Amino acid sequence: MTASNQPAAYPSAAYRLTDEQRALRDAVRSLARDRVAPRAAEIDRSGTFPTDLRELLATQDILALPFPAVYGGLDADLLTICLAIEELSAACATTGLILAVHELASLPILQSGSEAQQARWLPDLAAGRRLIAFALTEAGAGSDAGAVAMRARRDGDEYVLDGTKRFISHGSVADLIVVFALTDPAAERYRNLSCFVVEVPTPGFSIGRLEHKMGLRGSPTAELLFDGVRVPADGRLGAEGEGFAIAMRTFERSRPGIAAQAVGIAQGALDVATRYATERIQFGRPIGDQQLVQALLADMEAATASARALLYTACTAIETGEGDPARWAALCKLVAGDAAMRVTTDAVQVLGGYGYLEDFPVERMMRDAKVTQLYEGTQQIQRLVIARSMLAAQG
Amino acid sequence: MRIVVLVKPVPDTTGQEHLGPDLRVDRMADPAVLNANDEYALEAALKLREAAGEGTVTLLTMAPAHAPEALRRALAMGADGGVLVTDPALEGADTLTTVRVLAAALARLEYDLVLAGSDTSDGGAGIVGAGVAALAGLPYLSAAARIEPTAGRVRVHRISPTGYDLLEAPLPAFIVATQALGEPRYPSLRGIMAARAKQLDVWSLVDVGLDPASVGGAQSTTRVTATRQPPAREATRVIHEPAAVAAVQVADFLAARRLI
Amino acid sequence: MPGAIWMVAEQHGGTLARISTETATLARQLGEAAGAEVVGIIVGNAPGAAAAELARYVPRVVAVKAAAAATTAEAAVVASAVAELAAAELPAAILLGASSDGRDVAGMLSVLLGWGVLANATQVTWDGGPVVEMSAFGGRLFTTSCFTAEHGIVTVRLGATTAEPASVAGQVITAQPASAASLPTVSLLERVSEASAAIPIEEARVIVAGGRGVGGPEGFRIVQALADALGGAVGASRAAVDAGWIPYSRQIGQTGKIVKPGLYVALGISGAIQHKVGMQTANTIVAVNRDPDAPIAAFADLLVVGDLFEIVPALVAELHSRSA
Repeated sequence: MTASNQPAAYPSAAYRLTDEQRALRDAVRSLARDRVAPRAAEIDRSGTFPTDLRELLATQDILALPFPAVYGGLDADLLTICLAIEELSAACATTGLILAVHELASLPILQSGSEAQQARWLPDLAAGRRLIAFALTEAGAGSDAGAVAMRARRDGDEYVLDGTKRFISHGSVADLIVVFALTDPAAERYRNLSCFVVEVPTPGFSIGRLEHKMGLRGSPTAELLFDGVRVPADGRLGAEGEGFAIAMRTFERSRPGIAAQAVGIAQGALDVATRYATERIQFGRPIGDQQLVQALLADMEAATASARALLYTACTAIETGEGDPARWAALCKLVAGDAAMRVTTDAVQVLGGYGYLEDFPVERMMRDAKVTQLYEGTQQIQRLVIARSMLAAQG
Repeated sequence: MRIVVLVKPVPDTTGQEHLGPDLRVDRMADPAVLNANDEYALEAALKLREAAGEGTVTLLTMAPAHAPEALRRALAMGADGGVLVTDPALEGADTLTTVRVLAAALARLEYDLVLAGSDTSDGGAGIVGAGVAALAGLPYLSAAARIEPTAGRVRVHRISPTGYDLLEAPLPAFIVATQALGEPRYPSLRGIMAARAKQLDVWSLVDVGLDPASVGGAQSTTRVTATRQPPAREATRVIHEPAAVAAVQVADFLAARRLI
Repeated sequence: MPGAIWMVAEQHGGTLARISTETATLARQLGEAAGAEVVGIIVGNAPGAAAAELARYVPRVVAVKAAAAATTAEAAVVASAVAELAAAELPAAILLGASSDGRDVAGMLSVLLGWGVLANATQVTWDGGPVVEMSAFGGRLFTTSCFTAEHGIVTVRLGATTAEPASVAGQVITAQPASAASLPTVSLLERVSEASAAIPIEEARVIVAGGRGVGGPEGFRIVQALADALGGAVGASRAAVDAGWIPYSRQIGQTGKIVKPGLYVALGISGAIQHKVGMQTANTIVAVNRDPDAPIAAFADLLVVGDLFEIVPALVAELHSRSA
């Protein structure tokens, strides 16, 4: 029995925040506390995308984190990016998602774009001048990403895109849309898609419905309609037929971002519940004196701390290339999503009746947490990824 | 415009400080932050460099070897690099030694301006700046509320009891900054990330041309002989009454102490 | 005969600074305890008037007439002149006020003479040499120190002594500096008076200070009203200064001024350590704050819990009715 069943020789460096990472985390935490948190309730209530906070993230260089320095980015590693997402999400999950989507939608360009393509698009993204969205999902292609039906027909120097994308985060506010479409319907499944960057607005492109969601209500989730949209050939990332592989490659760096959002949401809820337990007096003393409340808090802390530890370890392992990055990414997303749901639900419980009211943030956090078990690959998909990786390692 | 900023890592006053066995501040014990007044000096230096469109801002400090952490924030704010003079022989050094070490380090740097904060929160002597300027032979302008460099010279508004004195000196000069120069900037993320690439040179006493035997605790001109706690105040009296009632009680209190 | 005890005085516009009357009193008292000669030194362009005032506190005054002081920044001129005299006479100790000017001169003297400095003394006694008490760690601890050599320089905090003229006025002798200043000089182009500069806040016996709770520049009118009713000066915490509600000259605390008034009234000030170190030695501290758990509650003599916008006007009215 080899040691190969461990997520490949547990990273020897485990994780340890550098002084710089701590400084950065503290800077984002202050910003989140002072500028983001006061807006969170209103963003949720109005369901409006916070353009002011998007600008704040741009001017504070937070949106520059994922990009190389040569394009004006900050060259941050995955753990650093996740620290920022976590701190923002603890104050407001919608705002944390702005950074998370900015990072994950840019990954195809970062990982699969040519130098010319990177030079064309990355500087604006690093400066926060342009937003970007990742458009893979369709009504008939959710977990089954290979079922994409949108067509991309070659026409001389261009491709013509026809089809509809659904549930696209930031789809209605993005300036660049990374689209996955069928270039070769006759080819083998998973080798028939290509990836394109569409600059919008452009003729034939329109926004369809905007979804009304349980949570993350400030984040626009859009249906995107492509009706004869023309994309130049040099707008294609990678080779024809490489689209699915490009999409899969992004997960190892996008899933930790969502895990970070989940850990942040959990921590935010935990902080509210803990504080409430010291202030709410029943039976003549703070409810935090009651063992049943203590048990809830302790379990919430255990769930959050372990999700965080796994996330940071996963980021380190993915960065250093130890073990299977797909397995690490799926693990941290699985654990963090479930932790967020559990912790926020228990936070409402700690607040009792008050937790059910809009006056307190925990009901919003609970509604926000649910999506972390659904998007970026459902929890069920994560399990498949993990198990397949484990079994493949067994040989 | 080449500017050197004298900075000092000091114990965080919000924490619990410690004295060493010689009853001096134990600088190894606690997380250090940059002395608050030095941040104003650094901010002034950064603004001067921005106004000039070019130049360098270099930190200079004499501190224990673990000081670089405290300097990180200064580098993240925008300083280009720094020099840390550190030596085990400097433990327990008095202000005269500090002055000698900093002046010796300055002699090995090139600059147009030296800026310093007005005093430190951990010993508060407020005299190191004047001493360094004297030893380095630099014109000394303190309590600066405004700094205006012109060709080869600098003008300073020095806070006075009645307003300010307008001073002028040729460069290079030594200026002590005050808070009136402007709120220190928060390090940006870009600054925090850029700080990692910045150079912090570490010099020993030998590097600055001083004999370790001539400095340090054993050579100190002063010695701490005792410590005591301040006397405890009487318990606070609390008034929590409607305004009219509270006003009468406060006036009675002041009258009883013959303050009105 | 043990070495003499000297003090270096400051003047502003021809008037002896308040801190120098205290330092001079201290020097005289130490001289009496030590059986040592006491000399007060004042350096300036026209030191006569201030020298005569100084002579009320010490038995002997040396008034050094330095023309350069009219057109150059004083510290270098004063330090050079004093160093020249001290190198010749070798006093046991030189005392200066721990003011902005005093510190400048002390720092230069230290280098010119090679003598150590004990700074910000809250108390000085004599035992073969100065025995100096200073506060450390934001006032949480007091340390006692002495010099290891025969000579030293001490800077003394305002409020460490009470100024007290001697029973007999001292003598004033005038002198000229023998050589030009041994330190680089700085040109003094102009002395500018600003209307907003009132009595230096360090010298006020009553200070009413406003903090974040005052809410804005308009709120400081209430602070001023109470200061007027009590015959005091207006001060501020760093939060109020940073917010631009009041000039920096009013700031009290770690990066502002250290004060020791008879009465300090803190309005809407939390009392965090950075502010506390600036005023904790005031004889009486009264705080008005909405929060009964504010840090200032731990060290104020009297805490009034409530809205300062209601309490302070009521207090001002009560004080007026009592003085009427």
